[in-house]
Amino acid sequence: MRTVLAWVVIVLIAVPVGGAVLLGVVYGESPCILCWAQRTSMVLIALVGLFVLRYGPRPRYIGLVVLLGTWGVYMALRHSALHLARDVGQGFAAPYFGIHTYAWAGFIHFVVLVAVAVLLVLLREDAPSYGPRATGRVGRLAIGLFLVVVGANTLQAFITTGPPPFIGQADPVRFSLNPRHWVWMYQDEVRGRISLRGSWTVPRPDPTAVEVDADPANGPLANLPVLDITRRLAITAPLGGTLTGLAHDPATGRFLAVTDHYGVYLLDSALSRVEHRVLLDHQYSIDLTTLAGAAFLGDTLAVLATNKSYVLLRLDPAADPDREWRHFRETDGGVTELRRSRFATERARQMYVLSLAYDRQADELITVTVPSPRHRRMVVSRFDRGDRLLSSEFEPRLGTNVTPSDSGRTLAEYVVTGAVAVDRTLYAVSAAYSTLLVTDLDTKLVTAAYAVPGIERPVGLAARGSELLVAQADGRIAVIERPGAGSATSEQTVRR
Amino acid sequence: MEFLNFLIILVAAWLLWRRPDKERLAFGLLIVSCIIMAVLFLIGTHTSLVPGLNL
Repeated sequence: MRTVLAWVVIVLIAVPVGGAVLLGVVYGESPCILCWAQRTSMVLIALVGLFVLRYGPRPRYIGLVVLLGTWGVYMALRHSALHLARDVGQGFAAPYFGIHTYAWAGFIHFVVLVAVAVLLVLLREDAPSYGPRATGRVGRLAIGLFLVVVGANTLQAFITTGPPPFIGQADPVRFSLNPRHWVWMYQDEVRGRISLRGSWTVPRPDPTAVEVDADPANGPLANLPVLDITRRLAITAPLGGTLTGLAHDPATGRFLAVTDHYGVYLLDSALSRVEHRVLLDHQYSIDLTTLAGAAFLGDTLAVLATNKSYVLLRLDPAADPDREWRHFRETDGGVTELRRSRFATERARQMYVLSLAYDRQADELITVTVPSPRHRRMVVSRFDRGDRLLSSEFEPRLGTNVTPSDSGRTLAEYVVTGAVAVDRTLYAVSAAYSTLLVTDLDTKLVTAAYAVPGIERPVGLAARGSELLVAQADGRIAVIERPGAGSATSEQTVRR
Repeated sequence: MEFLNFLIILVAAWLLWRRPDKERLAFGLLIVSCIIMAVLFLIGTHTSLVPGLNL
């Protein structure tokens, strides 16, 4: 058993740790601060192995190896997560045998845990406790090799990280014996506040309770013309929950409404009767957060959750109730689920959305992000209807007719809760500052913006002919003329 | 600090080899080295202690 353990130490110290030193000296590849910790952990596991060789399998040695193994797995997960989801072939520094060093370290720590478990299984229960003893010939080889390899690591660490207080770096330069090329620092690594999840700390918005300043006069854009509410409608059909999104079908005149209780309702053109309804099982397969957007894609109904998970539905008089049982908690039996999946973005990965639009000309679905304390930007993402993958993405810029009210004010202050696309133009209503933004989908410019005083807690936006219907959480609908579809604005402007 | 940590490891290994009667000191150095290693990793990841992915 001792000989086996000695060989385990020899292999561990010679292959991953010794090999890493060779990579540094021969190929100039220097480890980053996280790589250093992973390498040190393997060295410490080998050192504990030497303790066992010398003093026997004492419980505290075994406990320490298990601690180091689990810590090493955590380190590998944390380190590898920086790169695992990148495009194929990408990573940090060069791969070896097709795998990068930070991933290798995770595998090795996992094997160490397995090896400890096996050794414990094989350990005699009456294993004697004893004091220091000779390590044997292989044991001496293990100790000698350990000292040589760790000595080389010490030299490499001095050159690439420096003496205390200097520490390893995120992007180390290649190894050199020329002191003029040595970089020693610590400031970069200690900068920034402590956080559990960093930039992934993003509060999930509640479409029914967006807390914002609704006064258009306080918004980031200056001298907005006013769009008056021409009349008000109301959804009188019974909805099980608070309204969170609305769409209009120009072909049939019907409406599609979604609620915060995962309800999807097909309403008649008068908004007074529910023609079809389903209550989605939001926990089936895909994690659906609160529904926040709806759109008609021809005869397909699309609904979107705040986390950009979506569901595609179709009216189907012959819907199989047994098949749909998995999709719907409740249904009237006339709806089939076609697909349930998630939109994946680039710029909006750490942002939620509260709106869904459909651009019929481009056959694309469109989302607009809402800002969070960590991420203040407005991102418009477009997804091809065919494969539902990202086809383009942009942050709208201001056209010549739109000016910020102050330097430093940006479109990212708006909280878009409803959007609709008509004739390559995206209309988006913001709960913050009660503003309608008009964006040209070809130029990606916000060509106009309007104050819409009087709307309360807008949750959706639909287009019907020359009108825009601003749906509110209370089920009421403010009707305004659609800019570009005729004379729309009053002479009044909102000034700051 | 990595340099200092490897020096500590070297001392612990030397004690193990040449002064096996100093087990407590060697094991203490081993624990100190583990702590330094863990602290250095946490310094490198303190702005996001868990992987930057959906949990």
